Amino acid sequence: MSEVIVITSGKGGVGKTTTTANVGTGLAQLDKKVVLIDTDIGLRNLDVVMGLENRIVYNLVDVIEGSCRMKQALIRDKRYPNLFLLPSAQTRDKTAVTPEQMKKLTDELREEFDYIILDCPAGIEQGFKNAIAGADRAIVVTTPEVSAIRDADRIIGLLEANEMKQIQLIVNRLRMDMVSRGDMMSIDDVKEILAIDLIGAVPDDEQIVISTNQGEPLVGRTDTMAGTAFANICRRITGEEVPLMNLTVKSGVFAKLASLFKKN
Amino acid sequence: MAQTVILKSNKYGINLILDAEVDFERLLTDIIAKFEEAESFFKNAKMALSFEGRPLTDEEQYRIVQAISEHSSVSILCIIDNDKLREQAVKEIVEEQEADNAIRTGQFYKGTLRSGQLLECETSIVVLGDVNPGAKVVSRGNIVVLGSLKGNAYAGAAGNDAAFVAALDMDPVQIKIGDVIGRSADKAMWSASKKKKKTEPAVEPQVAVVKDGNIFIEPITKGLLNNL
Repeated sequence: MSEVIVITSGKGGVGKTTTTANVGTGLAQLDKKVVLIDTDIGLRNLDVVMGLENRIVYNLVDVIEGSCRMKQALIRDKRYPNLFLLPSAQTRDKTAVTPEQMKKLTDELREEFDYIILDCPAGIEQGFKNAIAGADRAIVVTTPEVSAIRDADRIIGLLEANEMKQIQLIVNRLRMDMVSRGDMMSIDDVKEILAIDLIGAVPDDEQIVISTNQGEPLVGRTDTMAGTAFANICRRITGEEVPLMNLTVKSGVFAKLASLFKKN
Repeated sequence: MAQTVILKSNKYGINLILDAEVDFERLLTDIIAKFEEAESFFKNAKMALSFEGRPLTDEEQYRIVQAISEHSSVSILCIIDNDKLREQAVKEIVEEQEADNAIRTGQFYKGTLRSGQLLECETSIVVLGDVNPGAKVVSRGNIVVLGSLKGNAYAGAAGNDAAFVAALDMDPVQIKIGDVIGRSADKAMWSASKKKKKTEPAVEPQVAVVKDGNIFIEPITKGLLNNL
């Protein structure tokens, strides 16, 4: 039984690609056979975050146009043998692919993979329509900001209109110190507005920036909050019941440290 | 002597342009004369008849139709009313009736309306869910939101400012009732104080109505409901 999951958000810059990289890697750590597809044609970057840019020979558009076989375009991850990437084309644009072609492509991949994870471009145009065409399940990423939430709300409406079976939410870049001060929306505030199931919350963590720059997803690294949060999300995706981790405890320590520094 | 009757054809049949001054009996004779003149042209035509230039009573209209069918082989299928005043009056009555219906009858919509979604309704509408910012509900009648109204609502969309908008949690971006627009006060989209307000006393249901050309939002009370 394989599942096609699209990671989407509406607004750009909220962490779709980072989430895709970490969720894909995390599922591979759980011994699932996973393929990541970068559907952002013309703005390729999932390969960079995965640290696989130097291995690209063929891309998504080549596969769809029949210029190469699927096997030739799939890039095996350098760390996990059961993780693959289908990179996007950089010299083409969104109109190079149709939703029907994307659906055909994902259906073909179902035969071989447990999870097909699609990194959706920002926006609600052709690229978005392509990305959601073949998906069974959507994960909407948002940050606790009104602009991101407004766009997420729009995206959820469009997903519902397209009869997406399952729509779940990740609240990314939470800063619990700001939440407790009342300067940032809490998870509950976001849930109240968007009214869909939460599949995880990821704290704002500078380790993410470091890992992205290095091309090494940090999922599963228990020394980081974000790594643990992403690992939990992956287990929830597979159907396991994992309670939401307490983000306050650690950031409480951070806050205390921060206040100490402030005093000095 | 000026002509008292002019026959003009239109796409449905014949338009009779009648002199407004002349005596009706005289007019009738002239009409008969006109139709007899044109007998060979009309032959057994079937047509609709309309009048212009002077108001006619039902009795007079009947007599004209009667006279035409007696003195010619033309058969009048119907009379087309193009009296502007009457048309206006009929239109007003129909519209009033429709507005009344819109307010008295209603439909349900179940689900949350999200940003970018538009719900339009010919009658009143009850939304079982939230109306999020960026979403819009338009109704010719009333709007009731059993949830939070955080987007735009437009009640009495045909121009009826007797309509109302009610919500369990009234926090709209804009409300329009009839031709009156009200917008929310300028404030932060989200603040912790707003959140606090929600956890402490439960927000109370409110209703928006038009009073003296402005939109007023007030708690729903029995007295208010009786005045709606």
